[in-house]
Amino acid sequence: MRPTLVVGNGPSLFLLGPDDRPVSGPYPVDSDPRRAAARFEAFRPEDVPSPLLAAVEAEGADHPLVASPARIARALAVRLNRPVGEPDTEDLRRARTALSPPEASDERRFFLALGRVRLEEAMRSPEEVLITLAREEERVERSVGREARAAESFVRVPGSPLDRHLDTWARARSALGDLEEALRHTLESQARLVVPNLSALVGSRTAARLVAAAGGVRPLARMPSARLQLLGSRRRPSPERGPRFGVLYRADRLAEVPIGRRGAYARSLAALAAIAVRADATTHRDVSAALVARRDRRVDQLRREGR
Amino acid sequence: MRTGRSFRPVEGSPRLFISRHGDRRELWTEAVGDLPPVYGERWVEAGNRRLRQFEPGRSKLAAAVTRGWTGDLPAPGEQWLYLGAASGTTASHVADLVGPLGRVYAIERSVRPFARLLALAERWPNLRPILADARVPRDYAMLVPPVDGLYADVAQPDQLAIVLANAELLLRGDGARLLVALKTPSMGRGRSAGAHRDASEATLADSITLAPSVSLDPFHRGHYMVGGRWGRSSKLPSRPASRPTPPRGRRRGR
Repeated sequence: MRPTLVVGNGPSLFLLGPDDRPVSGPYPVDSDPRRAAARFEAFRPEDVPSPLLAAVEAEGADHPLVASPARIARALAVRLNRPVGEPDTEDLRRARTALSPPEASDERRFFLALGRVRLEEAMRSPEEVLITLAREEERVERSVGREARAAESFVRVPGSPLDRHLDTWARARSALGDLEEALRHTLESQARLVVPNLSALVGSRTAARLVAAAGGVRPLARMPSARLQLLGSRRRPSPERGPRFGVLYRADRLAEVPIGRRGAYARSLAALAAIAVRADATTHRDVSAALVARRDRRVDQLRREGR
Repeated sequence: MRTGRSFRPVEGSPRLFISRHGDRRELWTEAVGDLPPVYGERWVEAGNRRLRQFEPGRSKLAAAVTRGWTGDLPAPGEQWLYLGAASGTTASHVADLVGPLGRVYAIERSVRPFARLLALAERWPNLRPILADARVPRDYAMLVPPVDGLYADVAQPDQLAIVLANAELLLRGDGARLLVALKTPSMGRGRSAGAHRDASEATLADSITLAPSVSLDPFHRGHYMVGGRWGRSSKLPSRPASRPTPPRGRRRGR
């Protein structure tokens, strides 16, 4: 038996009867495209237009009711207090050919608004905030370094007209330094929130940069430790002397390891980091104490081996 | 702007132009949107048209045309679905090809590239960006009307399955067009690029009447453009006849 079908093509909803009657609708979600996009995206039970509800009730309950996308099905189920399924491919295709497209300028405004709504929603996730912060912090840190180097090699001549420039520049550098510090602070607390185990093991800033380089916590968690070790390195792995670390070069405690043993440390640390990030991505359990203990044992061992 | 070039439209594709300058051949598409350039490409004015350079090094579609793609291209007035639009480099050119009366529905799931795609759509009137995962065509099935063509550039090991799922649900029917930028480097290291292409074509041949594929070397290593028309038509020659085996060395060597 073919079902009664409710579909939303964006700005409006439509009802298709179980037989070949003409489509009923449009039932606009909202007259304003921007609000329509926000409501289409969330689609709570109260967003079902009442004329549509009346039309569905007039159909009776002889035929099963299905709706697409899934969130519209859920909202309808709440409003009608009856099961609402999802259409199979055949029904979806029937709906797609039966609907006439929205008017071009409405359609365009709706798509731009929907894109904005989805983008804002995606950027709100703590993980995306972390990635954005990590990239910002890295960029600002680079400019701080660049300005500091330029200032060092600048020849100061007392009484020259350049003096004023130097004063303004010094203030700008100190402001840039403050920005970097504030940014790092925010970044580190965000990293402890999103990837607590990894942050404890390699340091929160390095942890954030690893996540940013991988493009997310899950992609990082799926990485073999050998890739994690080289993440962000500029050189290509090669059979001769490839890179030994990328982002991990700035990890906590690496500096304490004798230079000749740092490659070995990077391997061990990457193995532990892979475990840490997997805990952060899946179980969310705190395994940091055990991992940090293993890391510290390894540091001591490598320091004893020397060179 | 004065240029020494002369532009002529490519046969069967009135919004795609070729210029010759000595022995340099360059491709151009007629812009639907306004300056500034989308990704730093050159713009020229030729007669009353504004043309944007379509570089084979930047775009796999331009590379396919340069390497002698004989299959269909997006044509004016058509509606196309674009999977894996990223920040819109090639999508903007596909939008140029379908012109102001056509539509390009561009799917992209990565947040940062999508932000740039959305900014582009604000000034490219026939581009409709959708932040969604191309693996789940049901999620956007109702937003996209039945389309005349599908262009796919998805760097996923299961890219063919993604393309077929979308084609089945969203193409308008038999005769609709497919252009698939086959990315063999994303498809696993077990096989050579050519073997990946042959296997992919064999899979597609069940539901598509294939046009001869072209290699995108040297512009995009290990990439091929494959595609054709949806549906197995008995009127068109079947696969072995439609694709004369090219000399082996040209495909593999470079």
